[in-house]
Amino acid sequence: MNIAVVLRQVPDLIEPLEVAGSGQALDWGAASFILNESDDHALEQALLLKEAGGGTVTVLALDFGEVDNTLYAAAAKGADRIIKLPMDQDTPPSPQAAAARFAEAIKPLSADLVLVGVQAHDELDGVLPPYLAAALTAPYAGVIRGVKAGPEAGTVTAFKEFPGAVMARLTVKLPAVLGILGADQPPRYVPVSRIRGAMKSTTFEEPEVAASVPESRVAVDKMYPPVSAAHAEMLSGGEDEVAAGIVKILAEKGIIK
Amino acid sequence: MDYARPIMWNVPHWAAITLYILIPIVIGLFLFGLIWRVRKWFIGQAEPGGGNLFRQLWQALKEALQPRQLVEFVRDAFFQGRLKRDPYSLLMHLAIFWGMVILFIGTALATIDQDFAYLLFNTQLLQGGFYLWFELALDVFGVALILGLGMAAYRRYLVRPKRLEPPPGPVSLWDKFPFLTFLFLIAVTGFVIEGLRIAEGFHVEKQIATADTAEAKGRVLDQVALREQFEMSPEQKDVQMKRITAEGKVFPAAAWAPAGYGIAKLLAPLPLGSLRTVHAVVWWVHGLLAFGLIVAIPYTKAFHLLASPLNLLLRKPGPVGRLPVVMESGVDSVRDYTWRQLLEVDACTWCGKCQEVCPGYNTGFPLSPRDFVLAVDGRLLRTPFKDDGETPSLHSPHPDPLPKGEGTISSAVLWSCCTCRACEEICPVGVEHPRLIIDMRRRLVDQGQIDEGVQDALMNFQRYGNSFGQSPRKRGDWLKGLDFQLKDVRREEAEYLWFLGDYAAYDQRARAVTQTIARVLHRAGQDLGVLLEKEQNAGNDVRRIGEEGLFGMLRDKNEKALEGAKFRKVLTTDPHTYNTLKNEYNGEGAIAGRPVVHYTELLDELLQRGTLRPARRLDVTITYHDPCYLGRFNGVYDAPRRVLTALGVRLVEMPRCRENSFCCGAGGGRIWMKDTPGIEERPAENRVKEALRLPGVRCLAVACPKDFVMFQDAVKTVGAEDRLRVADLGELVFEALEG
Repeated sequence: MNIAVVLRQVPDLIEPLEVAGSGQALDWGAASFILNESDDHALEQALLLKEAGGGTVTVLALDFGEVDNTLYAAAAKGADRIIKLPMDQDTPPSPQAAAARFAEAIKPLSADLVLVGVQAHDELDGVLPPYLAAALTAPYAGVIRGVKAGPEAGTVTAFKEFPGAVMARLTVKLPAVLGILGADQPPRYVPVSRIRGAMKSTTFEEPEVAASVPESRVAVDKMYPPVSAAHAEMLSGGEDEVAAGIVKILAEKGIIK
Repeated sequence: MDYARPIMWNVPHWAAITLYILIPIVIGLFLFGLIWRVRKWFIGQAEPGGGNLFRQLWQALKEALQPRQLVEFVRDAFFQGRLKRDPYSLLMHLAIFWGMVILFIGTALATIDQDFAYLLFNTQLLQGGFYLWFELALDVFGVALILGLGMAAYRRYLVRPKRLEPPPGPVSLWDKFPFLTFLFLIAVTGFVIEGLRIAEGFHVEKQIATADTAEAKGRVLDQVALREQFEMSPEQKDVQMKRITAEGKVFPAAAWAPAGYGIAKLLAPLPLGSLRTVHAVVWWVHGLLAFGLIVAIPYTKAFHLLASPLNLLLRKPGPVGRLPVVMESGVDSVRDYTWRQLLEVDACTWCGKCQEVCPGYNTGFPLSPRDFVLAVDGRLLRTPFKDDGETPSLHSPHPDPLPKGEGTISSAVLWSCCTCRACEEICPVGVEHPRLIIDMRRRLVDQGQIDEGVQDALMNFQRYGNSFGQSPRKRGDWLKGLDFQLKDVRREEAEYLWFLGDYAAYDQRARAVTQTIARVLHRAGQDLGVLLEKEQNAGNDVRRIGEEGLFGMLRDKNEKALEGAKFRKVLTTDPHTYNTLKNEYNGEGAIAGRPVVHYTELLDELLQRGTLRPARRLDVTITYHDPCYLGRFNGVYDAPRRVLTALGVRLVEMPRCRENSFCCGAGGGRIWMKDTPGIEERPAENRVKEALRLPGVRCLAVACPKDFVMFQDAVKTVGAEDRLRVADLGELVFEALEG
């Protein structure tokens, strides 16, 4: 089975996000980036499928947000081909636009299965996987937690999670796009020595991709930190101080007199 | 020659010839086994530094012959110096070892006496006064050997400590070989032979005494065929017969062999014929037992007789805190270990002392350092010399240990190790268990087989340079609580570069302690600086998890940051950081030539100098926990104790202190691992209970941010919050200064 995996870099929330001077977007230059968590699971799922049944894993990513380290790590984990799509802008495209570019890059691969994280936390006008499925005219199932070889050739069995603790086992005809929420096992650790090895031995393919992208009908007016409507007050000090603080607050609210 | 050691007494020619036929066969079987076993070591890799085998051996020998190494070798190999913590074992092993050595030397002298001096030169080495002392020495050390073996039997069969239980899987080719029983029987039959010979002398002496004249005495000697018992020239026999007739003593040296003499007194009532028959039989039993033992040595655990001293001789010198790394991708099969490591596992005596002190084993983790080493040794002895690419992995396919040892090692066993070095420290023969374990861990890391918590920590190290997954910019947040400034060593020079480590900088509880220590040092006028966000975790535990590439990455980043910093010494509160900065950072890097100081050493110095003057004595009874990476790894035991003494506290030691300190369970990356299901208790809980058992102790003093956190948690989980305070040394100093 030939599997294509889409990886996206998203802002690392460990550092406070900064809004750009325009007030309409993040200051991408100030952000640090990490691999989108559910994309990491998509890669892990692809590697598990390859290990179980053979085939190839091709990883695709946009050349954005310190992506090289992520791609070398993917190669070190066992991805066979790495495709880095050049970007002509220094801000990430919308999911629609990204899906169109990924679809054009995936078409020549004749992939049986496309795995991508079900969502990313920086998406604006919808989520990428269904756009990608539409662009590839392939079926799509999302919120998938685990994929196995299907009951017959040309299918896979996917496990979908519904709210309310209900699971469904799906048979998906290939080729298809699956939006992965979680792999069968947590993403594997890849030691630094292997990443360093991959840096020496891996060559990225960087094809020029021409994709027509419909103009987004969603625009950001203003981006800003949320304004707190209510707040919690943390009481500190010894037991007596905390107790006195509680009494004082209750008295102020008129709950006790 | 008045009298000399009787040669082949009561041994007929056919028996002597049979003996001489057997000797080369025995030596041949022994040498075959010896070469077979020694060759096994060299299926391994070269030690770091490389070079061909002879160059490595020459290098190892050159290192071993340094005066200090040599003194240690003599102390540990010949006088069992590493058993000093266990007087019973020490005495027992000294008795057995020296009993064997002197009996071996005695046998060698007897061989020279008989087969060289007598056969080639018709004289004897063992005669006259020298022979008397020879007899006495052999008897005394023979008795010592038997007493030592008795002590061993008492412990093995009556006390029956768990550490002496048989290992779970096969190790040598004949694990059940009754080595000590053989030794015992050889010693006892030796004395019986001696006793029977002397008893024969008594018989003859008694009969001579009844004869009045020299002729009558001569006739007695002829009747008992005493002349035929002597193996010497006719002229020498004449001399002996005359001497016996004149003195009335067959064996003038008999009294110098008190054990044999005593046995002879007991056996004397037997008829002469019976004495001679039994002597001949026991002589054969003794000889065959000795031959059996010699042949068995290379094929049984008795091989440690040779491998243990050799291992002690060839031990790698240098700081124990420096972990040698040969295979960055780790050990899969025995071939991936170095020859020195394979010699180590072959030197194991199965004594189980490592198991007895292991924090993992003692709290119910599936790790016995002894069984681990023996599993590797068992596999080594079953691995062919030629590498056909089929050498089976040492790693078990099952994550959990199997009930019966089948020669593989599960990941659960490997991850149970705290790398605390308690095992290595107590090992009488110098096995370095943690290095062996970490080498195998490296392969697990390479294959991605790691605990979820460790994986998170490693990812955090990769991304952020700390285990907490916090922004590097927050490393300096602890400074916000201070009303004075520390220098940024990237901009201005400071006496001390304070290398924080993760817990001291990021953990909320440990951070408060860091602030307190900073206040103490500020009060003492110390010139302190920090690297702020440029500091990354030093990598001590990353390396001991087995992530060598990540350790290298962290070290490179820190070295780069240190290159641009201005400082004269490095200070840290974290013993793990202390160890790796002191021992494992680049010898030509930024730290080279600058002292790395633990804060307890600095506090000690400041208190001794009077720079810090406590305003009051702390009226409290305290016990102190030696951090593994400060004590066992770097020998810092006294400075923290001097600090406590200077504060006026009453210091009570825990039974397991100093070299025998019991790990809190945080080392080797265990602090990031999920709780292991099924264990009896956490090591930190075990330690806290030990402190609680000390009468009057209300405070457990620590000198490590990880210990501080681990023991604070443990005090809560054992429900002793109101009985035992966990306090950092810095906090106690601060309290004493405050008055």
